[in-house]
Amino acid sequence: MRSPRETFDVAVIGGGSAGLAAAVTAARRGARTLLIERHGYLGGMGTASLVHTFCGLYLLRDEPGAVHANPGFASEMADRMIAATGIGPVRMGRVDVLPQHPVEFVRIADELVSAEPLIELRLHTEVSSISRGQDWEIGIGGRGGERSLTARALVDASGDASAAILLGREFEMIDSPHLQRPAYVFGVHLPGILGDAERLETAGLIMDGIRGGNVPPETMGLTFRPSGRSNEIFGSLDLAGGEDYDPFDAGCLTGLELQGRSTAAKTVAWLTEHSTIWKGAYISQWPVRAGIRESRRWLGEYVLTGEDLLEGRRFEDEIALATWPMEFRETARGPKLRFPAGNQPAGIPLRCLKPVGMDRLFVAGRCISADHDAQASIRVMGTCFATGEAAGHAAAAV
Amino acid sequence: MAVSKNKNSPSPTELIDWLNDEGVLELDWDFPEDGDLFAAGLDSMAVMQLVVAVEDRFEVELGPDDLTKAHLATPTTLAALIAAKTS
Repeated sequence: MRSPRETFDVAVIGGGSAGLAAAVTAARRGARTLLIERHGYLGGMGTASLVHTFCGLYLLRDEPGAVHANPGFASEMADRMIAATGIGPVRMGRVDVLPQHPVEFVRIADELVSAEPLIELRLHTEVSSISRGQDWEIGIGGRGGERSLTARALVDASGDASAAILLGREFEMIDSPHLQRPAYVFGVHLPGILGDAERLETAGLIMDGIRGGNVPPETMGLTFRPSGRSNEIFGSLDLAGGEDYDPFDAGCLTGLELQGRSTAAKTVAWLTEHSTIWKGAYISQWPVRAGIRESRRWLGEYVLTGEDLLEGRRFEDEIALATWPMEFRETARGPKLRFPAGNQPAGIPLRCLKPVGMDRLFVAGRCISADHDAQASIRVMGTCFATGEAAGHAAAAV
Repeated sequence: MAVSKNKNSPSPTELIDWLNDEGVLELDWDFPEDGDLFAAGLDSMAVMQLVVAVEDRFEVELGPDDLTKAHLATPTTLAALIAAKTS
């Protein structure tokens, strides 16, 4: 039954925005690349968790007009998304963002990967072991059993520093009251129109519902945004993880999923019963999973700090620019944004992608080496595309 | 815009400071009394925070009919709304 062990130049753990960028980049540079994803499609937060906005794509500017912060894969994804949705960048307060549709993201990711014959995509697959001989020896598996393979270079784009755990290496994670709260996003079919006036009235209705005990207090802070498609909006709320919130405890995660669905269902039921705006509305899509914003972070050769971002610090070995304000979602009072002086972008050094004391291992996405404050900026998908591309580049060069 | 006689209702300037202190909005220290609160980030999420904060501080319940663009447009109109509800 034993088949010869497969060998790859690069193995990428996780097919979210960072892992997708890493795998496509490595393959385009001639590396035979394995891309491992636990879900049935790629895109991670942007698909499985329905996060429908690409943040961090554009420079911070007072002037109107969105200007790309990172050329390459991040800009390519923006172009592909705009072509798919017909919707360009939008200014929200002081930042420019690109609305994205999770259904289009899935399709775009499929096309990108299918266009690269050097990528071997394994969906429905988890990494179960990693060890290092001359090359990386990686155990992967699913319901069909386990198998092992080797790769010359490894990219950890798991979002959770999964390779650090499997290798027994050092990682960082802030305690639960300070961990960024998970996002819960769901799709809603709405026959009517939700303009500014209707939005305000909805906020009032929700507050009435909370006062009367008909809507759970967790609904405070629920926002609705257009999906870009007719009669479809997304509802987004932050879940209170609580004192014991542990993004790696299945019981805790189960509680979050149930809480998210129950809160959404009760709120939409309340709105449809009490408002003509919401007549005929129903929840049309649940996320595969609540959107985890923060968990483990790798300890790299450099730890990017909140200070670096506030000062707009630049580095000789920078591989991408971080432009998203530090966005803290630690309390029930909604997001708090901290902007850099003079809108300056900060550099992300390659050293943040290189775990201490390990060679041929690169990190990409939200679990790169950054402190809690800096992670509140670099976790966004626009930046993850850029760090993913850099990791893919570096891994293919090994 | 009439300033309420009710001593519990805030002036537009007091309201600007209070919105900052409550964390409802982050307004510049020189934010004008007739400045655009929506442009300053007053979205539906912030409006919900505002409703709770107004209830706590001024013992006024703002309902769906109160939450209009006209009422929430500026510190001046918002102060007038609170004044009207407290009087």
